[in-house]
Amino acid sequence: MSSPPVLEVEQLVKRYRDVTALAGVSLTIGGGEIFALLGPNGAGKTTLIGAVCGLVKKTSGSIRLFGVDLDEDPYRPRYDVGLVPQEVNFDPFFTVSESLKIQLGYYARPPDEARIHEVLEALSLTDKANAQTRALSGGMRRRLLIAKALVHRPKLVFLDEPTAGVDVELRRDLWAYIRRLRSQGTTVILTTHYLEEAEELADRVGIIDSGRLLLVEDKVSLLRRMGEKRVKISFSTPVGALPASLDGRAVLAEDRRSVVVTERAGKPSAGEVLQALYAGGFPVAEVDTRASRLEDVLIEILRGGGAP
Amino acid sequence: MNLMGLRTLFAKEVRRFLRVPGQTVLSPLISTTLYFVVFGVSLGGRMEEVTGQRYLPFIVPGLVFLGLANNAFLNTSSSLFIMKIQGTIVDLLVAPLGPGELLLGFVGGGMVRGLAVGLLTWAVALVFAGFQLAHPVVTLLFLLGTAYVFSVLGLVAAVWAEKFEQINFFPTFVMLPLTFLGGVFYSVSRLPEPWRTVSHFNPMVYMVEGLRYGMLGTGALPPGLGAVLLAVLAVASTAFTYALLARGYKLKQ
Repeated sequence: MSSPPVLEVEQLVKRYRDVTALAGVSLTIGGGEIFALLGPNGAGKTTLIGAVCGLVKKTSGSIRLFGVDLDEDPYRPRYDVGLVPQEVNFDPFFTVSESLKIQLGYYARPPDEARIHEVLEALSLTDKANAQTRALSGGMRRRLLIAKALVHRPKLVFLDEPTAGVDVELRRDLWAYIRRLRSQGTTVILTTHYLEEAEELADRVGIIDSGRLLLVEDKVSLLRRMGEKRVKISFSTPVGALPASLDGRAVLAEDRRSVVVTERAGKPSAGEVLQALYAGGFPVAEVDTRASRLEDVLIEILRGGGAP
Repeated sequence: MNLMGLRTLFAKEVRRFLRVPGQTVLSPLISTTLYFVVFGVSLGGRMEEVTGQRYLPFIVPGLVFLGLANNAFLNTSSSLFIMKIQGTIVDLLVAPLGPGELLLGFVGGGMVRGLAVGLLTWAVALVFAGFQLAHPVVTLLFLLGTAYVFSVLGLVAAVWAEKFEQINFFPTFVMLPLTFLGGVFYSVSRLPEPWRTVSHFNPMVYMVEGLRYGMLGTGALPPGLGAVLLAVLAVASTAFTYALLARGYKLKQ
């Protein structure tokens, strides 16, 4: 018998008086994937995560975690969930190591020094194990937040803007650690403002705006389907009219020294364009290509250009 | 039930106040010791016996009650309220801790602090007034019942409060006047009318007199009334607080 999806959200609605934060979101997340939830500020990303994690009371709809309906049992599935909240918080009364021990206890796990050491090492906090949390820098407090979310070995981890305000080195370390978690079978759902992060990590991408999930798609196929490639071909001397075969497919610069072709879903291919230019005896000097990134795709979808 | 989660929260609550003993235990102990010195030693010598007791031993149960109730309340109210302000409440709400675990974990911590201050106050009283314990079981019931009820009330205040000003509302405007008018320093049976009748509407009177009966063997009111009142308050406040926590009132969005 196959195991149920890690998370199933159906027609989830959350209203705050006059504001609809989630307007009927449906989403299914399988085991062992990294899912990136993207969208502008106020789109509903944190509300969606909050509703699953017990921080937000839903207005209607259903949420099943590990096959368990949260309306029937809101607590049992949470033993296997970890959350890195967007806002940094820390308990000033305890040390880093004590904070992790407390966290283990909340999840009914006995104190486990080896596990605490492992998590601290992964997050470069080993030398701060006995430091008071109030003495940590902002970046270190965020690392502690991540350590707290992971110390009880959750099967599903929510990372709400996990690398906001951390330095580049730690961001890279974290990405490596998140990939390691996935390789161990952990499902990761992350929201991020750094689209580079989603591009680096995600297997699937969901784009949300105004409480509606506009699109959920495999990242590679999304980039292939929506992605554009901009090809700029420079000439050594100004040229005359372009070959007729390139009409409407290439734009000649005002100084007539370069032409720009936008390749979308593989058409027209840069090879076809170059072939036509060479055949016409154009003095091609340089070719520059730039593939579009998730950022470009996101902007296009939010403008209404890509929702299915 | 997540028993290990409950135990962890309880232990964390106790360790939290023990981390700052000067503020949580020593400070209230000094305040109540000053009451002994001012009201008991200084003024008490000039006062006649109250309900068959010398004045100094007479005020001991009331001062134990004062330290116990205040600190039980302050522990739960300040702990949960600080968690709300600092955002660490997220740790508890995401974890598999239901309303029962949250209630018992916080209240257990509040009771330990309340009882610690109450019993240390009693220990200080030994120096001034000597030891008296007429009914140990009654005394224990009133100590535990008072600690429980005020811990739960502190939790309600913390759930409700959104600003620091609001968290001080109940101890300053409700507890303090009711306690001082609750027979801590005098016997309500010696008040002139209509104040004697009015004081019977003050629930603190029954708790103070119940503890006084347990410790000294005398009281202006039957201890059974105080015990029933505590039991009713315990059940009602527990049901109310459980419902607030289950609903996530002012804790969840």
